[in-house]
Amino acid sequence: MTRLVDVPAQFDDRSFDQFAGAFAEAAKDGGRLLFDAHAAEWASPYGLVGLLVAGQAGRGGGGGGGAGGGDRPVINFFPHGRVPKLKAQDESDVLLPVTPVRAAEDVHAVVSKIQQRASAILASELGLDPKATMGFAMALSEACQNIVEHAGTGGWVAVQRYHWRQKLGRRVVVIAVADAGVGFRHSLEPTQSKRFGARWGDAAALEAALIQGVSRFRDPGRGQGLAGIRRYLARWDGKIAIRSGTARIAIVPKWDDDVPLKDGLPPFPGAQVLIIIPEPESTRK
Amino acid sequence: MIQHIDVHAVLQESVPGGGVYGDLVTRPTGRVVREQIERAIATAAVARVDFTGVGCIDYSCADEIVAKLLRERPAVLVLSGISDAHREAIEPVLAGHGLAALIEGPGGALETLGAPEAAAVLLEELVARRLAARTPGGTFALTLA
Repeated sequence: MTRLVDVPAQFDDRSFDQFAGAFAEAAKDGGRLLFDAHAAEWASPYGLVGLLVAGQAGRGGGGGGGAGGGDRPVINFFPHGRVPKLKAQDESDVLLPVTPVRAAEDVHAVVSKIQQRASAILASELGLDPKATMGFAMALSEACQNIVEHAGTGGWVAVQRYHWRQKLGRRVVVIAVADAGVGFRHSLEPTQSKRFGARWGDAAALEAALIQGVSRFRDPGRGQGLAGIRRYLARWDGKIAIRSGTARIAIVPKWDDDVPLKDGLPPFPGAQVLIIIPEPESTRK
Repeated sequence: MIQHIDVHAVLQESVPGGGVYGDLVTRPTGRVVREQIERAIATAAVARVDFTGVGCIDYSCADEIVAKLLRERPAVLVLSGISDAHREAIEPVLAGHGLAALIEGPGGALETLGAPEAAAVLLEELVARRLAARTPGGTFALTLA
């Protein structure tokens, strides 16, 4: 039996849980999935990479996480021949199109490609300090490496610049990285679950990784990636949110009203990372 | 004598795609580059590790190359060709480990990067071993060529 999964009209991190809920419900039976995007008007980078993750997990390519899995022969996207635009109503620029990340070589390619475009846009258009552009490539590299090092499967990355006229009145750069891999809980379970005891779960795993900087590796140098991203974002007033399994954690800057930690969300495979770097208020045009 | 290591050349030679990409990113890349450097400086007392031509260094490579070389201390390491972008990655990694590195500027002046306590100990040790000395300008420089 084919089950329909509706793609939200405005598909971004805010509407993602609605999509995840529909996906989890449809994936329960192990039948064929049809992703219906006829009502979708646009998708953010986060929405698009999330959709690819759903497709990968639905094919049985995911590493777990509560939803997906199974052995479905066919996944259909956009049956009406419409692909949601990778563009919000406000003006936007694609800095990096949706790009697969499977191995270290892919991260090299992403960093190389983004540096050519990002430095010009971040410094001249977003008015960021040149030092912010240096850290941008580092943050992007570390976010992509989480897939290579921990997911156990491939994933995707996309980077886009927006002018958030209504929401923020400023320009922002959005990085979205997603995979259908094992997720944070599974990755950290062997080393962290005892420490957390009954609290152990997706939310505790995210807290351990993002707030405490722990890694599944015992090497004391590991865990630098997310810690480095956090430092970078703290310096440039940016935001990071990570969704994995049934939980989502965020470092929320003053300009945003997101919730720091949500648990009990609809299960979704792997991990989805959202990074937002805003134009400094002082350079707003 | 100081052993000179051209990190960009090591990257180009030792990593698949290194001939195309000039960035030190990802753990596997860092590991391969560090192992090459370790072999090259195995018998050296002092090694100048030159990052000229290297684009981006991420935190993973800063840890995998610089922090691990400093922890294992196969030789006295002096980093050169370090840009502001490189510092952005290396400094917090070293500070997190309580490590310090020597940076050699274009004029030969030495400065330290990383944890202040470790930096003070490092400079003292170099001076005591006569590998570095205070210059008339008040900075430190290597005594070896």
